[in-house]
Amino acid sequence: MAKQLGMVVDAGLCIDCKGCMAACKVANEVPGDNWRNWIKSGDMDWQAKKRGRMVFQPGNCMQCDKPTCVSACPTGATYKSKADGVVVIDRGLCIGCGQCIKACPYGARFRNEKLKVADKCDFCSSRRAVGLEPACVSTCPTKARAFGDLNDPASPAGKLMAQSKDKATQVVNAQSNTDPNIYYLGDAGLKSWPVKAQMPGAFEFWKNLADPAVKVVVGLTGLGVLAMLGKQLMLKNDAPPPEEHGEEGGHE
Amino acid sequence: MSSPKMIQRHTRAGIFIHWFNAACWFFLLFTGLALIQNPELNPLGAWYPKAVRAVFGGGANLLVAHWLVALIWLAVWVVYLFWGMSRFVAPFLNSTFSLEPNRDIQWMIKKNLQMTLGYKMMAKLVKPLGYDGHLPPQEYYNAGQKLAAQGIIMGALVLIGTGFIMLFSKYFFSAADTWLVQWSMTVHFIAAGVTTALLMVHIYMAAISKEERPAFISMFTGTVPAEYAKHHHQLWYEELEEK
Repeated sequence: MAKQLGMVVDAGLCIDCKGCMAACKVANEVPGDNWRNWIKSGDMDWQAKKRGRMVFQPGNCMQCDKPTCVSACPTGATYKSKADGVVVIDRGLCIGCGQCIKACPYGARFRNEKLKVADKCDFCSSRRAVGLEPACVSTCPTKARAFGDLNDPASPAGKLMAQSKDKATQVVNAQSNTDPNIYYLGDAGLKSWPVKAQMPGAFEFWKNLADPAVKVVVGLTGLGVLAMLGKQLMLKNDAPPPEEHGEEGGHE
Repeated sequence: MSSPKMIQRHTRAGIFIHWFNAACWFFLLFTGLALIQNPELNPLGAWYPKAVRAVFGGGANLLVAHWLVALIWLAVWVVYLFWGMSRFVAPFLNSTFSLEPNRDIQWMIKKNLQMTLGYKMMAKLVKPLGYDGHLPPQEYYNAGQKLAAQGIIMGALVLIGTGFIMLFSKYFFSAADTWLVQWSMTVHFIAAGVTTALLMVHIYMAAISKEERPAFISMFTGTVPAEYAKHHHQLWYEELEEK
């Protein structure tokens, strides 16, 4: 199976310390109010008879198998890497149009305040390049996050996946399941927060109306021009009518 | 006709700006097409952006090449517009944006019929209806050229406007304003499509159809045979005669 980097998270271990968020911000120089990762917490169930318990759900870009953000990018500036399954952003090609941001059901993307291009978690590509784990994984004091190739039982995440295939769950919106690559062990906590993936209006208009219309107009014009050319080649002696001035052949 | 009488149709500046323009449009069209890479949009299939990006060393370089040539194109045009405003530009706009409905609608219909049917069919089918086979006399530009020029000028303005919005997105736009960038991409694509269709007709008429061959040659030499001018642009010819 192809390499697919992912995470297996034990939400039960998360103590909401926000260490992963701080480490990420520093490691990736994420500016201002932008965050590449998060910890979601649900409402405490005070009605329950048993002792109330809060589950914290750490997360970040899910590097989905069916990424709607990639579908919303007209230039391929964001794409799913074939080498490791991470959804990456080409900052040189991205113009910061923001279509991918709207298309993500997890709100995992944002427009980098400084660079003004799309930004999100890439599992710390710069740290991985030198053999380190993502900053959020390294820094987690309770080791709630396991990282690695989900298809390789030798990696920390792959090992957990192999051990508990049936128990691991994805957090998805049923109306647009993007098949994310972050799995949760046991009780994942809040599950209802992902929104339905939404394509921006301009992109929908392009895809459904402008694209076919332009193809038809250019195609028909091309056919028309070719037909004229064909006629020109076949009807060689189609002479114009004689002019009043009595000079023929002026049109040749 | 060994050495027909020739008359001046294009200045050197006009010839230069025409071919400069043509080269830039081609470059921008084909690099622009390659900037689209999405299975739901790919106008020519996935191979095209892949191949062109390989030539330019990646999509980011391709994008820079696209807007660099666009800026050079625009800069040259701005110089041309200022330098030639009274001599070339104003007269060009004056004549391309002045249509005489009665004469020019007739011309458009008859010319298109004649081109589709051919002169012989035209004589057979349309003559009984009272049409003698002659087109209404035309000015320096015929009605088709005027309409194409209007479309291309307006298309170019839309391309420039939306192009700048996309170029500036990374520098001056806030996240709340990106809807404008999104619509600019869509509108840029539409304007490029419409102008491409018009340019296909322009290229066919000028470079491929036999009738306008002298006009094509004049885009290199600057001159057309007086006979050609008389038959294709009678009003212009008469104006020259009067001078």
